[in-house]
This record gives sequence, C-alpha cells and structure tokens, in this order.
Amino acid sequence: MKLINKKNFVSIVCIFFTLITCGKLLSEKLCHFTDKYYTDNIFTILAFSVLITAVLSVHYYLQRFPFLLVFLGQYVTTVGIVFLAIWIHGQFSEHAPTAYWDMFYSITIPFFCGAIIYYICFFYQIKKANKIIQNLDE
Amino acid sequence: MKLIKTKEENLEENYLELHYNKIDDETNAVLDRLRDTLRYIEGMCDEKKVTIALTDIFYIETVDRKTYAYTKDACVEIKEALRDILEEYSGIGFARISKSTIVNIYKIKKLQGDLNMRVIIFLKNDEKLIMNRSYKNEFYERLNKLQGRKTK
Repeated sequence: MKLINKKNFVSIVCIFFTLITCGKLLSEKLCHFTDKYYTDNIFTILAFSVLITAVLSVHYYLQRFPFLLVFLGQYVTTVGIVFLAIWIHGQFSEHAPTAYWDMFYSITIPFFCGAIIYYICFFYQIKKANKIIQNLDE
Repeated sequence: MKLIKTKEENLEENYLELHYNKIDDETNAVLDRLRDTLRYIEGMCDEKKVTIALTDIFYIETVDRKTYAYTKDACVEIKEALRDILEEYSGIGFARISKSTIVNIYKIKKLQGDLNMRVIIFLKNDEKLIMNRSYKNEFYERLNKLQGRKTK
C-alpha cells in the first residue's frame, strides 16, 4: 500500500512541520532558551519536513530491495542532501561551527528511532501471525 | 444444527456426513463453505492429467508464464493464472506473498523474520518461501480474515 502519494504529500509535510516545531518550542520553553535564529530555523524545519516526507515516500518503490540496504541508502542520501544544503548556505552566510554535527544528530536520532520502532512492529506482527497460524491448526 | 465429532482409529480418510430433513439457511451456509473448501483443480503432472484438491496445495508459483501447484509430493502444471485463483479461491486460504507466488495459509508451519525485514515462510512439507515486503499487509489481512471466520 502506498502511504504517501501526491494527494497527501503536502498534508504529511504539514504534520511533520507542526510536530517538529511544537517539539522545538516545547523544549525551548522547558529549557528557558531563546532562539536567536528563529526565522532561519523555522525554514530549516520546513525544508527538513519536505525532505523527510520525500525520502519516506520513495520507500514504497524500494520494497523489493533488502531493507538494510534501503535504510542505509535513504539515511546516507538524507545526510548528504542536508550537508550539501549547509555547505551551500555557508557560501552565502556564516553558520555555527557545530552546524554539521547538529544536523547529523538531528537526522541520525529520528532515523534510528524510526528504524527501531519499525523492527519492533515487524517482529511483533510475525509473533501475532504465528499465534493465528497455530490457532488455525487447532 | 448440531456438530458431532467422532474419533475413529485407523480411518484412512476423514469424511463428513450430513443428516437432514430439510436444508435450511444455516445448513446451506455451512455447505457453501464446504463446497469452496472441497474444490478440485485439474492439471498436468508427468504428461498425465491429474485432479488435485485445492486444500492439498501448499503453494502456487508462476515460472516462465506457466503456473505450477505444489502438493506434498507432486508438482502439477495448471491452466489458471495466479490472479484468477486468488479471486476465486481467496476464501479457502490462499494469499499472495510475491509477484509470482501464492501460498495456502493452512499449510504454513511458522513465519520467521530476518534482519532484512523479509518474512521467511516455513511450510509443513519443510519447504521455505520468502514473502516480499510489499505483500506483507495483504497477507496479514487475509490471515486475520481467516481467524475471524474461525472464531465466528
């Protein structure tokens, strides 16, 4: 089943954008932190939301390939695009010295959390299916 | 309608016998399900025409535009296409696991996952099949439907 298509692409981008922005604002409120680059970061979140939705939308077409290969391919592509964007941005204005590391963590943590949840769901589904198969045999 | 199960030692083949005065709706519904289950399919095996029960089939596979049905000890070439079999006999327990293979859920011993998110299907005849990830949801839906039918 194709979960992300042309019709719902924009709405999924909006959902990602809202969730990430809310998370950012909530963490800033809790840490009493004031973001000096608020506008820049909002646009970065929007770009990141578009990118992550695009990456997830191609997952459907890659289902016949081994999962680990697809996962690593998508991860490396995403990191590559983000680093390229930082580099281009750096040509026109100054960015924080930790910009690359910050973005690396921002991508790696959600990617690996997503993969772990996906793995858990996958093996849980198999366990459930095995119970049904056993039940059908009785 | 009553169901009486009797265990008979040394019986060669299980059989069902229906005792009735008048076939009512309930009995008709049971018969409809049985008719589906006890269907047979014709095919060619070693250049001989053979008839096999659908319930004996472990899996059906398409190779070079030819369709083969695999039973415990035979491989029968059949005329039906995979899509037609799924449309007509989906209620019996056939589910698609890849572009070229459908499996009889009742002949599955267990499922096992690997790190590449592939599902390995172990059949009761000790054969192994690989389920494509894109057919996973369809397979689980069919499995849940069969379970629902059993618990009804």
